Amino acid sequence: MLEIKNLHVAVDGKEILKGIDLHVGAGEVHAIMGPNGSGKSTLSYVLAGRDGYQVTEGSVTYKGRDLLAMSVDERASAGVFLAFQYPIEIPGVTTMTFLKTALNAQRKARGEAELDAPRFLKLVREKSKPLNISDEMLKRALNVGFSGGEKKRAEILQMALLEPFLAVLDETDSGLDIDALKVVAEGVNALRSPERAMIVITHYQRLLDYIVPDVVHVLSKGRIVRTGGKELAGELEKTGYAEFAA
Amino acid sequence: MTDAATKFIETYERERNSLPAADLPWLDARRDEAMKSFAEAGLPHRRLEDWRYTDLRQLLSKASLAPAPAHEGVVLLPTTAFDAIDGHRLVFVNGRFRADLSNLGGLPSGVTLVPLAEALRAPWARPLLEAPQASGIVALNTAMMGDGLGLHVAAGVRLGKPLHILHFAADAGAFHVRNLIRLEEGAEATIFETHAGAAAASSFADHAADVSLAEGARLAIVKVQDEAPSAIHLATLTARLDARSHFAHFTMTLGAGLSRNQSFVTFAGEGAEAHVNGAVALRGKQHGDHFVVIDHAVPHCASATLFKTVLDDSSTGVFQGRVLVRPDAQKTDGRQMTNALLLSRDAAMNAKPELEIYADDVQCAHGSTIGELSREALFYLRSRGIDEETARQLLISAFLDAAFETVANEEAREALRGLAANWFRLGGGAA
Repeated sequence: MLEIKNLHVAVDGKEILKGIDLHVGAGEVHAIMGPNGSGKSTLSYVLAGRDGYQVTEGSVTYKGRDLLAMSVDERASAGVFLAFQYPIEIPGVTTMTFLKTALNAQRKARGEAELDAPRFLKLVREKSKPLNISDEMLKRALNVGFSGGEKKRAEILQMALLEPFLAVLDETDSGLDIDALKVVAEGVNALRSPERAMIVITHYQRLLDYIVPDVVHVLSKGRIVRTGGKELAGELEKTGYAEFAA
Repeated sequence: MTDAATKFIETYERERNSLPAADLPWLDARRDEAMKSFAEAGLPHRRLEDWRYTDLRQLLSKASLAPAPAHEGVVLLPTTAFDAIDGHRLVFVNGRFRADLSNLGGLPSGVTLVPLAEALRAPWARPLLEAPQASGIVALNTAMMGDGLGLHVAAGVRLGKPLHILHFAADAGAFHVRNLIRLEEGAEATIFETHAGAAAASSFADHAADVSLAEGARLAIVKVQDEAPSAIHLATLTARLDARSHFAHFTMTLGAGLSRNQSFVTFAGEGAEAHVNGAVALRGKQHGDHFVVIDHAVPHCASATLFKTVLDDSSTGVFQGRVLVRPDAQKTDGRQMTNALLLSRDAAMNAKPELEIYADDVQCAHGSTIGELSREALFYLRSRGIDEETARQLLISAFLDAAFETVANEEAREALRGLAANWFRLGGGAA
C-alpha cells in the first residue's frame, strides 16, 4: 500500500525528516509515536501534499504510484486521507455542502457517477449517526464554532464518507475527553478493513488502547528509531521518550 | 474646463429645447441652474476627497461622450438574471424607454409607471428634482436627463410583482437616465434592475435616481451592473426616508471598465431602516467604486451596509462609506462593513469606512478587511479531493454569499448566486 524509502524533508531549509523508511501493507494499522518536534506532523503533511515541505531525498510509493508527483487533490481521489490535528474553519461553506462537493469531486475524478441529493443525504445520515453528528451540525459552516470534539468527529465523518485506502490520523486524540475519544476510536475501528491501511500518529498511548495497532514505530529527531508490536506503546507509556530524546 | 466637460456643455446647448418636458418653466430653470453649477465645478477629480480614488475628470478624458444614437430598430436583448421571476418589464435602449419592448400590463390601480417626460409633469415629481443633491455630479444628470421612469405608488398600495428594468447600451455614446420614485404611506414595491451592453459599446451611462419613501413605505431594489468592459457606468441614488419606512438596496457590480455607484440615504423620520449592501467581482483592468453615505438626521433609525469585493488580475476596487449621526439622532443603530478578497498580486483595494458621530447614545460599528484566499483553507479542501479551481470557487462564493444573504427576496438571492457562478465560468479558471 505505502512504501516510504529514505525520506528526507526540509521546511524553510531546515531538515525535519532525516531518512524515514516505512512499509505499510493493506489491512495494517501502524502507530507512529514520538515526542513533540520529532517530525510526526511533517510526515503527515508530506503524505497529504501540503506546500512548503521540500522532499530533498527519497521516495514515497502509494499503490505502485509515485505519491510525491501527485497533486493534493489527486492523492485524495486516489484514496489518501489525512485527519487533521487542527481541522480548518471554513466560514460560509456548510458542512453538508463541503461533504457533497468532496465526495462528488472524488467520484468524478475516479470516473464514477456523482451522487444526487437524496442518495447523498441518505448516505450522510447513515454515516453521521454512529458519530453522534446531528443534522443541525451538518448545516453549520464547516468547523466554525465546532468544539474540539465536534471537529474531530467531523474529520472521522469525512473519512467514513470518502472511504480512503490509506488514512493518516494526525493526533486525532488531542483535545478529546475520554468519552469523545471512545466515539472517535469506534468510528475509526469501524473503518478497519483488509483493504484499508491506517497510520495513527500520536503522542500518547491512550488512543492506542482503543485503536489497537499492528505495528508501533517511534519517531525521534526525524528518524524511526524503534519498531515493535502493540506492546511497545505500553512500554513507552511507562518509560516516556527520555531515552530517545537524549 | 476639460474637453469632456465642454462636450457635455455643448451638447446641452444644442439639445436643451428637445429635452423631455422642456416647455415647463420651472424645469427649464432647474436644468439651467444645474448646468451652470456643473460648468463651474467641472468633472470631479482626485483632489476632491470623495473622488480620491476615482478621478472622473482624468478617466473621462478619452471617453466617447457624444450623445448615444436613438437606437430605434430591432435590438437583440440579453437575458437577465431575473428573467425567471414573474414581473412587469421596462426596457431602455441607449437610455431611451422602449415601449415596444416593455410590458406594463396589469399594474394595480394606484400605481403610476410612466416615462420621464410624463413623470416630470406630475406634482409629486417636482419636489424630488428640486431637493438639494449631496453629490455635485448629479447636476450633469439634472441638466441632461433624457429619459427614465417615474414610479408613483399610492398610499397603502402594494406592487405585488417586481418591476424588471433592463438598461441596454447598444452603441457607443453617452446617455443620462433619471428615475423618480415616490412611495406614499404604507406603499410597497420591489425593483430588479439590470444594466447590460453590447460587447463593443463604449457607452457612458449616467444614471441618477431620486427615491422618496413616505411613512411606513417599503422599497427594495436589487441592481446588477454587467456592462461591457469598455463601458463607463456612473450612478447616483438619493433616498429620503420618512418615519418607519424601509429601504433595501443591493448592488452587484460585475461589468463596465469604470464604474462609480453612489448612494446617499437620509433619514427624515424616526424608526426607519436602510440597508445598502453590495457584492463586487472585477477582473482585467476594471475599476469599481462604491460610495455610500448614510445620514442619520433623526433618532431611532437603523442602517446597515455590507460590501463584499472580489478582485482578480489588475482590477481596482474602491469602497468609501460614511455614517453620519447628527446631534439629535439618539438611539441610532449604524453598521458598516467592507471586506475585500484579492485574488491577484496586481489587484488593489482602497477602503475608507468612516463614522462621524455627534450623538452620545448610539450603537455604531464599522470595519474593513482586505485579504487573500486562505492557503490553509485551500489545502484543507484539496486534501478532500476538491480540485484547486473548485476549492477557490467554493471559498470565493462563500465570501460573496454573506452579501447575498442580505437580500430578502429568495429568488433574487438565487439569481445573484447564479451570476457569481457565471463570473467564475467567464474567468475560464485563469486565476
